Amino acid sequence: MVRFARVALRLTGAFLAISLFLFLAIRTLPGDPVALRLKNPSAEQVAAERERLGLDRPVPVQYARYIGRFFAGDWGESIRTGASVREDVGRYLPATFELALSALFLGVVAGGMLGLLAETLRTVWLRRAAFALGMAGLTVPVFWIGFLLLLGGSLWLGWFPPGGRASPGVVAPGLTGFLVPDLVLSGRWSEAWETLRFLVLPAFCLSLLPAAQVCTTLRARLQDKRIHLLLTSLRARGLSPARIWFRHMLKLTGGPVVTVAGTNFGILLGGAVLTETVFSWPGMGRYLVAAVLERDLYVIQNALLLAIMLVLAVVYVSDLLAGSLRQPEDSSAAEGPGGGREEGPR
Amino acid sequence: MKNGFDLAVLGVLFVAVIGWVYTPYDPVEQAFMDIRLTGASWNHWLGVDGLGRDVASRLWRAAANTVGMGAAATTGCLLSAVILLALEQGGPAWVRRSIRGVVAAWIGIPVLFVGLLLLVFLRPSPATLVLAAALGSVPLAFRQCRVLWLEQRQALYVTASVVLGASRGHLLRQTLWPNLKIDFLALAKLVFALCILELSGLAFLGLVGDPDFPELGALLRQNQTYVFRQASLVVWPGLTLFVILSLIQLSNIRRDR
Repeated sequence: MVRFARVALRLTGAFLAISLFLFLAIRTLPGDPVALRLKNPSAEQVAAERERLGLDRPVPVQYARYIGRFFAGDWGESIRTGASVREDVGRYLPATFELALSALFLGVVAGGMLGLLAETLRTVWLRRAAFALGMAGLTVPVFWIGFLLLLGGSLWLGWFPPGGRASPGVVAPGLTGFLVPDLVLSGRWSEAWETLRFLVLPAFCLSLLPAAQVCTTLRARLQDKRIHLLLTSLRARGLSPARIWFRHMLKLTGGPVVTVAGTNFGILLGGAVLTETVFSWPGMGRYLVAAVLERDLYVIQNALLLAIMLVLAVVYVSDLLAGSLRQPEDSSAAEGPGGGREEGPR
Repeated sequence: MKNGFDLAVLGVLFVAVIGWVYTPYDPVEQAFMDIRLTGASWNHWLGVDGLGRDVASRLWRAAANTVGMGAAATTGCLLSAVILLALEQGGPAWVRRSIRGVVAAWIGIPVLFVGLLLLVFLRPSPATLVLAAALGSVPLAFRQCRVLWLEQRQALYVTASVVLGASRGHLLRQTLWPNLKIDFLALAKLVFALCILELSGLAFLGLVGDPDFPELGALLRQNQTYVFRQASLVVWPGLTLFVILSLIQLSNIRRDR
């Protein structure tokens, strides 16, 4: 409970700091936001709009109104497109989440397997190869590997489309906002399969970093002397590999891996900006970059704040989750060398 | 030099920065429009890009710019981290708590978002990217510096020096620094690699300002239009970045063993 309160306090502090930064930064920009909002306004129109937006009030009041409007979901319209920022975010955010979650799943599975192989394979060069493969994500620029994947998977093999999120004819049923699950849930299997092909390359590209992090974390955890000893003793007691790995090792290595996965989900939401650009994926990253480059104030003030807060929330919550997974070390140890439970020969 | 990878890193960085003073052709001038998008030849080792510029010359200058910007960001980042650490260690309790709280929140924000936050009020330019990369890496550098510092401060030989009456300056120069410098150098290499990766990412997004600026990430962006016509235009900049980053990582891994 105390840890939960601490996380909530930290998130509130971060929210206030970042929102204040954005609020003040936007006030320093040249140009009148009212003039940007209205086309060729008269003096009366400007005065009315300033009053409506509360720009004639003192600065602290304006900040409080900004926070109030943010929580009420009144995010204004994009200066570039005239579209509602809230509707835009509702369209782009699920696309980014779909990509990041797929990448995280791929990364944790592949990184976990490579980390395990890097520690348990008997042949030295195979162990090294598994580790090198797992580490690749730390040194290969994601935007470069994206182009290579496009060249290989799309141009040379022709297995995957060259970019985008779905074929032009595909209309999302709008159940969850995630395109592939939505199509599966509505029974449109052929369209779901077709749409999945759009997801594979960007998700694989984005999964390299979490795979590397999970691989190195898992390997380091398995190299811990106490865990090594426990592993040896569990093997000596004749426990099956499935029982050793799924009952004991998963608990012991789960905490750090969940922390890494959670922290990486935040990084993935940031890294998705690059992947989205390479694969023309219509997500939040591209939306935010375009907004910042073209000084789209309402998008910056609300969508960027939302994106950063989401990233921070994910990081903190995964930290909290990992904290609760750290407990079982003692119980597993008790079941280990001298634990004396029912399974396994003595 | 402890290992061959350190030498290789130095060699590659040295060759890269030569790109500031020498390139076979002008990397900006569009002098070869009549043979644009041609492959490698004796005169143009890596071919000519879509705007009639020698690819090798642009790549060389881009590598120099990337390395230079990375070095500037690393210096800024490490200096900021050391200053923050000095404040955190020597300041009053509320300063210590504030710094730790800010770093804890800051470390969760991806560098690309730090870049976007800065670009809200700064113009896109190489200097802005350097600032974003430096600021984005400060939390990591601060935490690592803090761990190193606390480890050394609690060491017995430091206590012995204090008991023997060593002055602060003597303690720092003769006792702490000789033991800190190897780990600090490794940290500098790690931060350098991160900064280069982040700078190139930001430049790839077009946040470098000048659309013609030769930087490895920016080159990828400039050449992405031709990815299906002449793949080598996107292969070379990425490969150069990959080689630099891999050598730095390998030199750190070898050192850890």
